[in-house]
Amino acid sequence: MDDNTPVEPIEQLSFWDGHRYLLLIAIVIAIALVLVGISMTLYVTSGAAQLDLSRPGYRSVSSQAINNDSEFKNYSSTGPINNDSIAEFKALYEKQAASAKAVDAFSGDPLSPDTLEISAQATQ
Amino acid sequence: MNRIKSSCVSAKNTLNRLHASDALLRVNRGQIYESMSTKLMTRFNDRAQSNHFDAKSLISATVSYGTALATFRTDYQGYEEQLSNTLRIDCTKEPVAFYDAVASARNKRSQVHDDVTVLHKYIDDYTAAFAQFASDHKDQGGGN
Repeated sequence: MDDNTPVEPIEQLSFWDGHRYLLLIAIVIAIALVLVGISMTLYVTSGAAQLDLSRPGYRSVSSQAINNDSEFKNYSSTGPINNDSIAEFKALYEKQAASAKAVDAFSGDPLSPDTLEISAQATQ
Repeated sequence: MNRIKSSCVSAKNTLNRLHASDALLRVNRGQIYESMSTKLMTRFNDRAQSNHFDAKSLISATVSYGTALATFRTDYQGYEEQLSNTLRIDCTKEPVAFYDAVASARNKRSQVHDDVTVLHKYIDDYTAAFAQFASDHKDQGGGN
């Protein structure tokens, strides 16, 4: 072996050069946190949260949700307009209109102080 | 205040049950209200227009219904958020804040009920517009 071969100087690694793997993991976690934050914001602000019956507190009623509305038939948006197509639409619409109006949703006054027994009259 | 504190537990139980039952109502009724528009009204309007029929009154009723549906969605979201906030208040420590929060939730729920009434009215309006459309088509001698 030739002892006269010039020895290349050992390059000094910076802190981050020596911890590239750690840096990679930190960046990946940061990106994941940002994406989760964005999706949670969308989940809450879009109103999807209100429709999510799998949340805690809704489990007791989630089984009663209508998951299959196949009974609600689509009316075809193509085809001729004639007596038959008008009669078909009339039958479909009347059935579903009656179903939609069958329930007077959110009626009553379950949040009245009297119902909750927190009426101001008795509040001292 | 003592009355609120003493009724605190039962009031919160009632609110929790209402929270769940109203969510179910929102999901099930909302589904029907959405389908009325997307599966029936809009589709019939498209079909009438593609056949060069005058569908202005049908479209007008559908647009009004869509606007009312959007208002219903927004108002329900506001109501649900208010009810959730109310449930987070410790009524034994903050009875006045709890009382006020319940009152606000009550107003918002009443608004949601008004929205439902408006939706029902627009369903009837579309029925009337459709009846007129069908009558006009008959008068024009529409055949099969």
